[in-house]
Amino acid sequence: MAGGVSGYAAISAKVRAMYSNLLTPQDISRLSESPDFSSLLSALKHTQYGPYLSALKDNELTPRRAVQQIKRRLADTYASVVQMSPTQARPLIRQLYRSFELGNLKAVLRSIVTVSSSWNADEAPWDRVREVLFPFGSFSTLPAQAMVESGSVASAVELLKGTPYESAVSFALRRFSAEQNLFPIEVALDLDYWRRLWTEARKLKGLDREAATKIIGSLLDMNNLMWTARYKIYHKLSEEELINYTLPFGFRAHDDDIRAIAAGADAAAVISRIFPTIPDVAALLEKPHTGLPKLEVQIKRQVIQQCAAAFIGNPFHVGLPLAFLILSDLEIQDLIALIEAKSSDISDEELHSALLKTALQN
Amino acid sequence: MFFPREMTEVELIIPSKDLVTATKALSGRGVFHQVDSAYLGIESLGPNAWQEKAANYSALERRIQATMHTLGLEEQQRSASDFDTIIDLGAAHADIDRIEGEVKEVGERLLAEKKRMELLESQLRQIEPISDVNVEVGALSKSEHLYSILGVMPAAQMSRLETSLARVPHVFFTLKEDSQKPVVWLLGPRSAYDVLDRAAKSAYLNPLTLPEEFIGTPEEIAAKTRKAIETSKQAIFGLEAQLKKLGGAHNAELQKLWWDVHVSRLMADAIARFGQLRHTYVVVGWVPTAELQALTERLKAASKEILIETMPTERTAHSANVPVALTNNKWLKPIQELITTYGRPGYGELDPTFMVMLTFPILYGAMFGDLGQGLLMMLVGALAHKRIFMKGLQSIGLLLVYCGFFASVFGALYGSIFGFEGHHIQEYLGFHFEPLWISPVNDILTILGLAIDAGIVILLFSYLLSLFNAARAKDWAHFWFGHTGVVAIGFYLCFLTILNSLLGSTPIAPKLAAAISRLPLPFGILTPIFAVGVMLNGLFRNIVEGHRPLLDGGAMFFVQAFMDLFEGAISMLSNTLSFVRVGAFAVAHGGLSLAIFSLAGTEPTIGFWVTIIIGNIFITGFEGLIVYIQTMRLHYYEILGKFFHGGGMRFEPLRLNPSQEEA
Repeated sequence: MAGGVSGYAAISAKVRAMYSNLLTPQDISRLSESPDFSSLLSALKHTQYGPYLSALKDNELTPRRAVQQIKRRLADTYASVVQMSPTQARPLIRQLYRSFELGNLKAVLRSIVTVSSSWNADEAPWDRVREVLFPFGSFSTLPAQAMVESGSVASAVELLKGTPYESAVSFALRRFSAEQNLFPIEVALDLDYWRRLWTEARKLKGLDREAATKIIGSLLDMNNLMWTARYKIYHKLSEEELINYTLPFGFRAHDDDIRAIAAGADAAAVISRIFPTIPDVAALLEKPHTGLPKLEVQIKRQVIQQCAAAFIGNPFHVGLPLAFLILSDLEIQDLIALIEAKSSDISDEELHSALLKTALQN
Repeated sequence: MFFPREMTEVELIIPSKDLVTATKALSGRGVFHQVDSAYLGIESLGPNAWQEKAANYSALERRIQATMHTLGLEEQQRSASDFDTIIDLGAAHADIDRIEGEVKEVGERLLAEKKRMELLESQLRQIEPISDVNVEVGALSKSEHLYSILGVMPAAQMSRLETSLARVPHVFFTLKEDSQKPVVWLLGPRSAYDVLDRAAKSAYLNPLTLPEEFIGTPEEIAAKTRKAIETSKQAIFGLEAQLKKLGGAHNAELQKLWWDVHVSRLMADAIARFGQLRHTYVVVGWVPTAELQALTERLKAASKEILIETMPTERTAHSANVPVALTNNKWLKPIQELITTYGRPGYGELDPTFMVMLTFPILYGAMFGDLGQGLLMMLVGALAHKRIFMKGLQSIGLLLVYCGFFASVFGALYGSIFGFEGHHIQEYLGFHFEPLWISPVNDILTILGLAIDAGIVILLFSYLLSLFNAARAKDWAHFWFGHTGVVAIGFYLCFLTILNSLLGSTPIAPKLAAAISRLPLPFGILTPIFAVGVMLNGLFRNIVEGHRPLLDGGAMFFVQAFMDLFEGAISMLSNTLSFVRVGAFAVAHGGLSLAIFSLAGTEPTIGFWVTIIIGNIFITGFEGLIVYIQTMRLHYYEILGKFFHGGGMRFEPLRLNPSQEEA
């Protein structure tokens, strides 16, 4: 089992090279100045996303397809990082990559639930669904097409046998049958995913473990806090439900913090204590419909800084590839925001508040 | 050889009647990279029927696979030639309907029986732990003061459930430990029933539900369940035997049917991306020029009326859409992997494989010069490549052979064998061996200076390759004013004269810089001119490319221009001095060997030789690895970055069989 310098030599060199190709806050800022969708695409064609966008003809590049092409780069990046990572780090990176498969699984289940009511009967459900799925390639264990075509959530869940999702979904299926709502299945999947990710991080040793728990813990902080806030504000869940629908680990946000919010403590005060640099949390939570997305953006910016910090100091640990992959994902989130804004009527002000990187250029 | 394989763009007009045979010829050998040309078709002809056919074949393939899966049969890939024509959907449907009819009923009964048994086993697992409790199970739910939930839940959620009930009086038992589905029993006051219920639900505690006929004490229910499980097992055994018999009877037919439908699906997928005209189809794609003749012959044999237009492709900057097939040579594979890790060459770009094939092992050897350890590395590499020893290194086996070869060449030049140098060789190995060139440990500054000289040569060569790439791409703006353009090279030469004047006559002073300084050129005048050129290269590029505004950002432009010059000078200095590491590692290698000798002592006892052997293994493994990292770093940062951009599109030809070799 190669670790330390020997295990991470190649991957840290590669990741550093790829890190330098990430778009800078200035690049994102420049892209955001594009007057419309087609100018944005022209500008993006001069970036690392160029070859992916050039693979389609201009008249085929709808906003949705452009997003898919951009995601293809992330898929290639993951495939390459997984392939080069040392044996002991691979399960963690693969599990991190699974977040996209998890997104695909949720999309597939949602499509099954909504297929009869809203979709065009002329178009096969699978044709619609596949356009929104992350291009996971051969890494995927999900029989997505067969699931969509199975026609019911119960039959689709049958097809998950042997996949990492089988256990979580089978427990939640009874509640779905009773409530006819995907919420319990989606929450079970989320909890299971993050538990597995955290377990993989904790399985590592030494510097690897320290770096992994710091980075994965930061993501967990964000999820736990956002889940708690959303479940409390939008779903009006009780204390015991809030606790059961969150996880007792993280980097800065501890279980006591989550339990305090669940028990009715001032969420703004707790979040401000965990992230002292985020201004006006109370004001954001006062208007949750607009405030919560803004709060999420602020926390994501903290994650970006945490990831960027992994590139300082000893590079021979799993923190570097993890941080790079998360930064790549967040960069794509910025690009998706840009594409959506430039192809619709979203104002510049709204766009800038949704962009993660631009705020970091100072 | 120095570029990706030459590609030819091919446009075909295929008569409708020959569509299938021509498509088969195109897919047959894995040489044709298809481009989606559906948009070239006539829209008024309506939606492409082949898309629907492809979807139908795909659905049919899944049905066949499901039937084979039920019968426990594995799909067997066949050769591309083992296929006649696209199978008729109706006939295939009839065949699969017939077989499915026989299999489906038995399969569904088996599935239902297995589900029933699973459920019974789950119930038994939940009821067994409380089999010594002598109460009616139904009575538990009828208690006046207690609220009780007996069931299974995810093991990972158990501690969370307990946490969530911290403020409610309750008792929580784990009746049966199980890493997946532990059986638990939650009891609490009926007055807190809603809290307990919400907590249990949100922790995914699924309560035990028993069929109505299963009444009585836990022990009685367990006995009935065991009996039902036994009956169910026998039923499953009988149904499985039936399926096995059916599998034997239908195996050959199903394998043939699957292969025909599978290939038909692949071909229909390909045809769906052809442009459909009234009586013909337009097909566009790329073929390696070397394969064009053979492909043309096959196509003509498949269709006498086919029209084939070929367009050789120029290697310019505008060839981003041309797929890139690298030279298919097993000896180059490890180097190609190093390159593609950095980036896939563009079609118009120099493929740096051959250059790196030389520079990588040479720089490696120069840093790890040892005749004995080099030969050892060659041996390990050869054995790993053949998967005889250290199979995990198979992918870099050949690279180890190349690096080991040059390590042994430099070992001879440095006079080093397994760390023994100079008089140690005579003393311990019993023969005389002098360095053929230089001893790094004894001539440290000279080897460092030579390393810088080597770096200057490699950097200048990389700059020239960059010019070559720009000239081929007719990208004149970057040829003259790019970061590695003519002006930048001019500035680098001037910079070397400054470096020479700074290092003066010290032994580390690069001789090449001194030679350049002696050229009869007015470097005092040229240096500021080229410096201004580097500063304003953005402006000059805008002029050449016709971009406006020329000065973007006003005064800030000049600040940025100055920073460009500053950064350029710093990069040139760091790039050049970066090669010092080549000499430094050659010295460090000798130093590390000396350290091993001081540990081993002076008397050639068994302990001495054991220390030397362990030390050599350590040096070969540890230092060998560090030198590998340094060599890779030099290539990725200092060399490739100068002239290689990457970003080429992968050549992905049509194939009927995944194991088919790439052309």
